[in-house]
Amino acid sequence: MKRVWMFVVYIVILTLILLGCGQNTQQAQQDITTNEQTPATSEGSDEPEPEPESESEETGEVIELTVWHYFNPEYDGTAFAEVVEDFNASQNKYHVTQEFIPREELLKQYSIGLVGDVLPDVGMVDNPEHAAFSAMGLFEDITEQVEGWEETEQFFEGPLLSTVYEGKYYGLPHNSNCLALWYDEDMLKEAGVDVPQTWDELMEAAKKLTKDGVYGLAISAVKNEEGVFQFLPWLLSAGADVETLDSPDAVKALTYITDMVKEGYMSNEIINWTQADVQKQFATGKAAMMINGPWNIETTKRDAPDKNWHVAKIPKDVKYSSVLGGENFGIINGKDVDGGWEFLKYICGRVGSEKFNKDTGKFPPRKDILESSDHWKSDPVLSVFGEQMEYAMPRGPHPKWPEISTAISEAMHESITGVKTPEQALKDAQVKAQEALKE
Amino acid sequence: MKFFRLSGRRKSIFINVIAIIISCIFLFPLYWLIISSLKPNAEIFQSPQTLFPRQIQFDAYYDQLFGPNSIIRPFLNSLLIATCSMIVSMLLGIPAAYGLARFKMRGSKIFILTFLITQMLPATLVLTPLFLIYKGFGFLNTFLAPIFSDSTIAIPFIVLILRPYFLSLPKDLEDSAKIDGCNTFSAFVRIMLPLSYPGLITAISFAFLFAWNDLIYAMTFINIAEMRPLTAGIYHFMDMYGTEWNKIMAYAVFLVTPVIIIFIFLQKYIVSGLTSGSVKG
Amino acid sequence: MKVMRRIGKEREKYYGYLFVLPALIFMLTLIGYPIIYNIIISTQKVDVMTIRENTRQFIGFSNYIDLFKDGLVIYVTKNTLFYTIGSIVIQFIVGFGLALFFNMKFRLAERLRGLIVISWMVPVTVTALLFKFMLSPSNGIINDILMFFNVVEEPVGWLINESTAMWGVIIANAWIGIPFNMILLNTGLSTIPYELYESASIDGANVFRRFIYITIPMLRPAILSVLILGFIYTFKVFDLIYVMTSGGPVNATEVLSTYSYRLSFTIYNFSQGAAVANILFAFLFVVSLGYLALINRDEVM
Repeated sequence: MKRVWMFVVYIVILTLILLGCGQNTQQAQQDITTNEQTPATSEGSDEPEPEPESESEETGEVIELTVWHYFNPEYDGTAFAEVVEDFNASQNKYHVTQEFIPREELLKQYSIGLVGDVLPDVGMVDNPEHAAFSAMGLFEDITEQVEGWEETEQFFEGPLLSTVYEGKYYGLPHNSNCLALWYDEDMLKEAGVDVPQTWDELMEAAKKLTKDGVYGLAISAVKNEEGVFQFLPWLLSAGADVETLDSPDAVKALTYITDMVKEGYMSNEIINWTQADVQKQFATGKAAMMINGPWNIETTKRDAPDKNWHVAKIPKDVKYSSVLGGENFGIINGKDVDGGWEFLKYICGRVGSEKFNKDTGKFPPRKDILESSDHWKSDPVLSVFGEQMEYAMPRGPHPKWPEISTAISEAMHESITGVKTPEQALKDAQVKAQEALKE
Repeated sequence: MKFFRLSGRRKSIFINVIAIIISCIFLFPLYWLIISSLKPNAEIFQSPQTLFPRQIQFDAYYDQLFGPNSIIRPFLNSLLIATCSMIVSMLLGIPAAYGLARFKMRGSKIFILTFLITQMLPATLVLTPLFLIYKGFGFLNTFLAPIFSDSTIAIPFIVLILRPYFLSLPKDLEDSAKIDGCNTFSAFVRIMLPLSYPGLITAISFAFLFAWNDLIYAMTFINIAEMRPLTAGIYHFMDMYGTEWNKIMAYAVFLVTPVIIIFIFLQKYIVSGLTSGSVKG
Repeated sequence: MKVMRRIGKEREKYYGYLFVLPALIFMLTLIGYPIIYNIIISTQKVDVMTIRENTRQFIGFSNYIDLFKDGLVIYVTKNTLFYTIGSIVIQFIVGFGLALFFNMKFRLAERLRGLIVISWMVPVTVTALLFKFMLSPSNGIINDILMFFNVVEEPVGWLINESTAMWGVIIANAWIGIPFNMILLNTGLSTIPYELYESASIDGANVFRRFIYITIPMLRPAILSVLILGFIYTFKVFDLIYVMTSGGPVNATEVLSTYSYRLSFTIYNFSQGAAVANILFAFLFVVSLGYLALINRDEVM
């Protein structure tokens, strides 16, 4: 019998220990970890995150806010953290803590958080998804603030519109980017090819550049928003639009891409390549040209310091075109609107936006910054992106954009892998997209 | 099972060689993982691939250890989560397996069914409701959330693995223990557990591994960067670096090495347990 | 004394519950609720437009009907079954073979068996990445090897072709599952008393007959556990496929778990995602019932 009791007591004690951890909040949990992991403490102090101590030093009225984003700490995350620190230093009413969460994970956190009601005060969102999350009630309607702000008129129309849902503003645009054609100057010279400007020239160039182990062109056709982002420039350039996916122009665009793969000028692996993969193909000389965005500039310089490369506008069919990429920030529904708005005004405002976008190779979505600074004009690569930017179209905004995007993505895969003809694939995509829009 | 009575040195060498070849083929992917982590990325992108790096470099490892996102802290987090989850799973799972194997109970079949079905939904599909539960308990952003979630994978596993094991142990042993004056619980703790420790070690190691390898629960229930485990770290990597294979593989080596060491160590015990007289009966 | 012993017997009946209930309650709290939650959500309309509404509209089986009308769910279910059965057959046969092999007494048996188990411990995300890397047509080692032995003439896009993608995923899954099968069957093998074989040999049974009449029946509980657990773990696999192919090309490797995830977290149709999850659940539920029936027949409880 003694044994029995020892057994029971043992279990009870263990349960208590474990539950004991649970009753305290995160702080206690972290204490537990630091106690058990003494070597880690020295590591922890290196973190750029603000220490909670600063709070007690202040007057005590400081309001704590959190912001979620997916700027990777190794790249643009550092620049963003600096801007957040600048904001904290610029006033003493609010203190903002930033949390990095990878993109896919962040989107999931939002949708779970909506049900579970565990969300930050301010959140970042990819601009084509903004409308969907606004419809889901994630973001606070800040029409009044946006319309009352004297700097609102400085934003470009496309980025600003991507924050709108049913005529109301749900956030501010923070940064912009678009796609352009990257090419390896040496490879082009060697093959005797000029920088292509039209689809025909591009096809011809890709043909000449394709040789053993090197593909003429690389794009990303991965089965998610990234792949769609990369396909839309072709669709728009052919004169089609996302409302009529089965139009002859749209078919022409998809046929063009499919032929590139069929002819072997583009790897059939593009359906699994993300844009980061595409960049690696280009940097390692496995692709002579690629379609990619300005966030790869620094990475490419680092990966291939000796490579001679340049960028140009994406070759056109009927017209030049590109797609507007970028992120917006919104205030989460039911959170501190005043504090959130102060923060938004800072990071999307003149100083914050200029600093962040300059440091990360992105574009500020504001006229005043682009006009006054020659950072974007003087750099030979950035200036091309700047030109391309003028042709950049926003995706949506539409609350059902994720569904439309999925339909396009499926059509791309079906056509590139040869399961369906481009006509049939787009016809089916059109039916799916229409169904989504109907609801 | 002994089909072959090995006679002669030659036959023995032959079998050992065959075994080595089989193991090498089977473990080739791991060799590839380590080799790729030692190559510069440019070499990885050359084809055909080099079976041994032309130039061995440890840059990828250096980056992971001393770079801005050092793996040391996440490593310790992983260790804590996996150990706690292993303990919880053992405390709950082992007695349950024993109870189901040894006692005639009303509803024992329903209990087994429950253990079977409770582990049926993929983690990704129970995220939202689990999130709601943990929110209610105040477990979000504490290590308890991943610990308990990981235990929900391990407990049914332990029950289903150990129940047949307990069944296969001769009941006479327990009975004779009782004659010697033990009651049910002391018979369990003193006789049955020591007897079944090879099975226990197997089950426990797996319980540890489930938690060690978990990504999705930790990612979903913990939002504080310093509290994330190693698996979350590699996920960040995949997210951002795409095909920087050498770095990803170096990260993977860190993720795998400690478990390999532990497991090889325990393997000795499992095997000795299997061959020791007590189990064979 | 007699009375005491009878009370002891009576009490013993309840000890069983004492052993089982803590685990049972734990599991029911953490997983029982999600199961019910999924069932409720699947009968409601919860998507982008309706998630913020407080009262959710009950729409009966409409989500399921819509799914079957669309037809993809049937294709995905077939994929899932193909994937599961393919994986199980490969990993069971190879695992059993290895278990028998390593059960022979030779010097390196223990050590090598221990090494092989490592593939089971590698985190799935890493395995998925590793195989995606090795199967790649442009710089994958598997193609290089196959070409070296003249099995194929030019690199095969294993994960890119509709016809081969599923096999690529199955191979990766089998690599994970083989040691699991091996170690459990090995544990089972070692509990078979040696005397049984000896007496069978004396009776003149050959290797094959000993295998059929002694090994298989004695291993029955272990085999059943391995197959059922294998089915459950494979049928609900998510990470592996999600990382390797995300269900593509087209939908060639889309399985129920990835499809459900895509519905819920890519297009935010939470109720249809839950409906697909329930279909997955229903399959596994039936398998468990079958397992129970087998246990019932085989064992004296």
